[in-house]
Amino acid sequence: MRRYPKIEIDHSKCTTPFDCKKCLRACPQACFEVHPVKVEKFKETDKKEPGAYRIEAFYLDKCTVCNDCVNVCPVNAITITV
Amino acid sequence: MCWMCEAYGEEGGRWYHNPKNFARQLYKVKRPGQKASGYGTDPETQAGLIMRQLVAMKWEDPENFPAKLKEFEELPKEGGCQVLPLKEAERVAELAYPITSMMCICRKTLRADEETNEHEYTCTGLGVGMFKWERWPERYRGGVNFMSIEEAKEWLRKMDKLGFVHMIMTFGGSYVGGICNCDYPDCQPIRHRLDYGLDSGLIKGHHIAKVDYDLCNGCGICVQRCQFGAIKFEVTLEKTNIDAMRCFGCGLCETACPRQAISLVERQSIPGLREVW
Repeated sequence: MRRYPKIEIDHSKCTTPFDCKKCLRACPQACFEVHPVKVEKFKETDKKEPGAYRIEAFYLDKCTVCNDCVNVCPVNAITITV
Repeated sequence: MCWMCEAYGEEGGRWYHNPKNFARQLYKVKRPGQKASGYGTDPETQAGLIMRQLVAMKWEDPENFPAKLKEFEELPKEGGCQVLPLKEAERVAELAYPITSMMCICRKTLRADEETNEHEYTCTGLGVGMFKWERWPERYRGGVNFMSIEEAKEWLRKMDKLGFVHMIMTFGGSYVGGICNCDYPDCQPIRHRLDYGLDSGLIKGHHIAKVDYDLCNGCGICVQRCQFGAIKFEVTLEKTNIDAMRCFGCGLCETACPRQAISLVERQSIPGLREVW
């Protein structure tokens, strides 16, 4: 039976995903989503502030484990296990 | 008749032709008692997390997946999205005031797109909420570009040319809040319907694309325009084949056809499609 891969992101390494966005742009299956952690009234969340945005893998059923995101990550924050 | 027209149309007309649905009194910024702070509290993240639950269930608990899907089907019914061909979108531009271009939240979420000015904006905001949005950068980028009716029509034509599907959306209930310009996989409603069967999140349009086989020369230009996988190049006939069951009626194929071989026909005029939404 096919099992979904487990995509883990080390948030202590990946701190400014919306600014970096390499994996978000590289994923052929568009598995990731980036969302704000810090929501302040009348202020756009600063993309350069560490920890203000967080990336997570959402569409696990689409992941083919091609590892493009792992290879493109500049801080080695992504690990995929099958 | 689609469920939005049944609920919000007037005298059998389409809901987005009904001026009542553009009334500023319907605009509600927030639900009382709800405040976003921290991860997972803003509406976009909430929707994402709900979908992630559904995605996980497909694998972990396939037996109960259909029941869960049905439960989620009810959620988007608080506000509908419907595919809109260009001509209908232009008509909506005449009904709504004000009209703006603004950044797309789906594209920001999925591809970290940063649309910083009117040359990059891909979403259309409608109605009184835009006066607030102009200085409302929370989650979204603040700032909108106000447009005249003619500018808005030109803008919609530009989006159509780029290959975006127009989609009319509401902010809860029937209040018309925008015309999204969408593609797969960036657009959440399109993706959730095509990939996970969340049909109520995006209603098909009131039209269907039909090919005139006498005019079609099989050039294939329309094939690449379809975001819904409804168009194939049929090698046997050397013509375009449009599956009417898969067609959402966005009309992107119609506007691209160099020989005017594709026309949009009313869904209601085809008996087998009347209840296919």
